[in-house]
Amino acid sequence: MRQELEDKMQHNSSTRKVSLLSPAGSFESLMAAIRAGANAVYFGVEQLNMRAKSINSFSVEDLPEIVSICKSHQVKSCLTLNTVMYDHDMQLIKRILENVKHSGVDAVIASDFSVIEMCRSMSIPLHISTQANVSNIEAVKFFAPFSDLIVLARELSLKQVKAITSAIRRENIKGVSGNPLQIEVFVHGALCVAVSGKCYMSLHEQNASANRGACTQNCRRPYKVVDLETGNELEIDNEYIMSPQDLCTIPILDELVEAGVDVLKIEGRGKSADYVQTVTECYRDALDAISSNSFNEAKVQDWMLRLKTVYNRGFWEGYYLGRKLGAWTKNPGSAATERKAFVGKGRNYFSKISIAEFEIEATTIKKGDSIIVIGRNFGAEKLVLDEFRVNGLPANEAKQGDLITFPFPHKTITTDKLYKLSPSSNA
Amino acid sequence: MPKLIQYRNHCIGCGICYELQPEIWRMSKKDGKATLVKGVPKKNVFILPISEEVAYESMATLEACPAKVIKLG
Repeated sequence: MRQELEDKMQHNSSTRKVSLLSPAGSFESLMAAIRAGANAVYFGVEQLNMRAKSINSFSVEDLPEIVSICKSHQVKSCLTLNTVMYDHDMQLIKRILENVKHSGVDAVIASDFSVIEMCRSMSIPLHISTQANVSNIEAVKFFAPFSDLIVLARELSLKQVKAITSAIRRENIKGVSGNPLQIEVFVHGALCVAVSGKCYMSLHEQNASANRGACTQNCRRPYKVVDLETGNELEIDNEYIMSPQDLCTIPILDELVEAGVDVLKIEGRGKSADYVQTVTECYRDALDAISSNSFNEAKVQDWMLRLKTVYNRGFWEGYYLGRKLGAWTKNPGSAATERKAFVGKGRNYFSKISIAEFEIEATTIKKGDSIIVIGRNFGAEKLVLDEFRVNGLPANEAKQGDLITFPFPHKTITTDKLYKLSPSSNA
Repeated sequence: MPKLIQYRNHCIGCGICYELQPEIWRMSKKDGKATLVKGVPKKNVFILPISEEVAYESMATLEACPAKVIKLG
């Protein structure tokens, strides 16, 4: 009884600080995450991370700039170095870790023992990646002497998560730095058909190893099941028999916080800045609501509507509530309720009068249209075009080739992109 | 004469090209990526003239590369 009471007191959501960790696959997403209220961000460099094929991958040369942006906003920076590693990768790992140390990245997220050992010998703070599939307290104890935080396997139930966090507090398990070991869980984003880090489907079919960051996501296609003896096709209601819906825990976020986790992680280093911004904002609001005891059903419904506007394949609350099988998606692509159409790129920014100039390269744009600008300096910014000028004159419509100017609160540069937002067929 | 072309920037260093054609590819210990031996660099794109026979053998490597950074020209 006393034990339970102590656990409860230590898990009290209003007295514990829970951090929000957002993905930063590009400078645009990094700014979006920071502006939306993330406490920490994670990103990969070079090819040794789980989004190796992402064209926006950062390089080691970008580390000082990333860290300096994070530090100036009091946001922690975590570098993912969590693929399967081969002998020929050792020098690159070392070079990356030397740069990590030099640039002041707050922690490395890893699962391969080579990286774990190198972090230990170089005294670099380490987080154990979900790719290590930590699913029980003994595994937690095993990794504790090497790390300060463990990302649990994504396939655990809330009860299992709670058992682990309770045991950490009860047994006073400390990380390598001597502070209490922290636990991180995924709260939002894509899920795998297989247990994280154990999927070989993409490798078998297309020689693209998921565990080397090259997943082709072929579990997300429609499949038929055919009995080879009879040639009969099995009747399946849903063709997407291997494709789970996206994880979304906002309806049960209060329970997750209550379960004693320290960090909530949003998936999506391959996703766009506006996605990162919307998802981070919703979870920030939800966490703040939990700490001020104002988390309620009406708010959850509002957050769900907002989350549905950006890329998603339908939502379910993952394995946390103890469901045996994942919910299968019914969607071939995104079920987002908003559609983003590329309009053009930045040309100029007139700082004194806060006016941005964009060149229209595709589609037309009208007065009253909702737009979103994605940029390196500010992430993503949505607005309604109440007034704009075309080639210097007030106008109601602009077409391909036109230069449009409109009031915009952030400095834009030539790589910034303007998109028109419209309701999708899923709206 | 056919050419083997590697867009090295986007190589993810999985090592399948080296497994299939060890006489043509090496895994660089410096940066973990595949190196086209004797390939001539042109802005980080590496080009190597090869015989018709090697070009034929290279088809499997092109197919196997998960990052699709190897082409025949």
